[in-house]
Amino acid sequence: MDNQSIFKYSWETLPKKWVKKMERSEHGNRSDTNSDYLFQLLCFLKLHTYTRVQVSIDICGVDHPSRKRRFEVVYNLLSTRYNSRIRVQTSADEVTRISPVVSLFPSAGRWEREVWDMFGVSSINHPDLRRISTDYGFEGHPLRKDLPLSGYVEVRYDDPEKRVVSEPIEMTQEFRYFDFASPWEQRSDR
Amino acid sequence: MFLRVIGRPLLAKVKQTTGIVGLDVVPNAREVLINLYTKTLKEIQAVPEDEGYRKAVESFTRHRLKVCQEEGDWEMIEKKLGCGQVEELIEEAQDELKLIEKMIEWDPWGVPDDYECEVIENDAPVPKHVPLHRPGPLPEEFYKTLEAVQSKNDAPAVNSGQTESKEKCLGHT
Repeated sequence: MDNQSIFKYSWETLPKKWVKKMERSEHGNRSDTNSDYLFQLLCFLKLHTYTRVQVSIDICGVDHPSRKRRFEVVYNLLSTRYNSRIRVQTSADEVTRISPVVSLFPSAGRWEREVWDMFGVSSINHPDLRRISTDYGFEGHPLRKDLPLSGYVEVRYDDPEKRVVSEPIEMTQEFRYFDFASPWEQRSDR
Repeated sequence: MFLRVIGRPLLAKVKQTTGIVGLDVVPNAREVLINLYTKTLKEIQAVPEDEGYRKAVESFTRHRLKVCQEEGDWEMIEKKLGCGQVEELIEEAQDELKLIEKMIEWDPWGVPDDYECEVIENDAPVPKHVPLHRPGPLPEEFYKTLEAVQSKNDAPAVNSGQTESKEKCLGHT
């Protein structure tokens, strides 16, 4: 019941220009917006008296390769005052740059770095945009769907040179795909 | 009579602490709140009239201002509003002022002609082993504001809208 009233309230008060799609469900209320209005929507949610979301729990990305704007950046937010959660989603290209929300939510710094590192969605005027989970000379963005599971390079310690070198990958066995849908014939060459 | 006028402020208890880290006690909370609310009501005039945002802000600000003006004591204000401590109310009012300023700057009002918004009502049941997140009880005036925002199209003035919604709310609960 409370979920529904929060949803109705946010539907009435949010400026219509900002919201492209809204979903109310038991899995979590979600609202979809355009990347131009992202910062403004989050600022509204943070400061308005009846939706005091002041904690950003997570910012992550999703890659839908079949869409034109392939990445979707998802902001999970929590309001400690009203104990309610809301998810805000934007869609972005490889070249679109989103506005950083670090000034609103200081914890978003690391999440944005991770989205940049894993997907390649960068931010305009971000105070500190570096790689966070990939290796130092790594090229490519791992969580995109077109980077294969085992990557393109492998690293090994080279004794003559006394350092770690990265070389193109050499796998002795080709990739096996197990389809566990059927408990009987598991043919790996399918 | 003069005893009561002099004695009542002296009888009001002094707040020791808010209990929240980083939030100091504000001794003249009532005056600060009244100030902030009147300022909010003035600033919100710049927003166009039939926006849901303006209706909501006017509704709850007026209600809170009325309560603050009636009650002389911070304790009575807190109890009557049911919205947490007066220092938290001050913080909320300050944030709302900042927000109104920014909204006026960004100016997102009006609906474009080809606007389509998809509202999905997903009532798919969640599996039983997944913990559901249920928000806690909301303050009473939230429901009043919600009613005011939704039913304002016919009601001429906010006061009549509020009393109507109050009756409706009481009737429901």
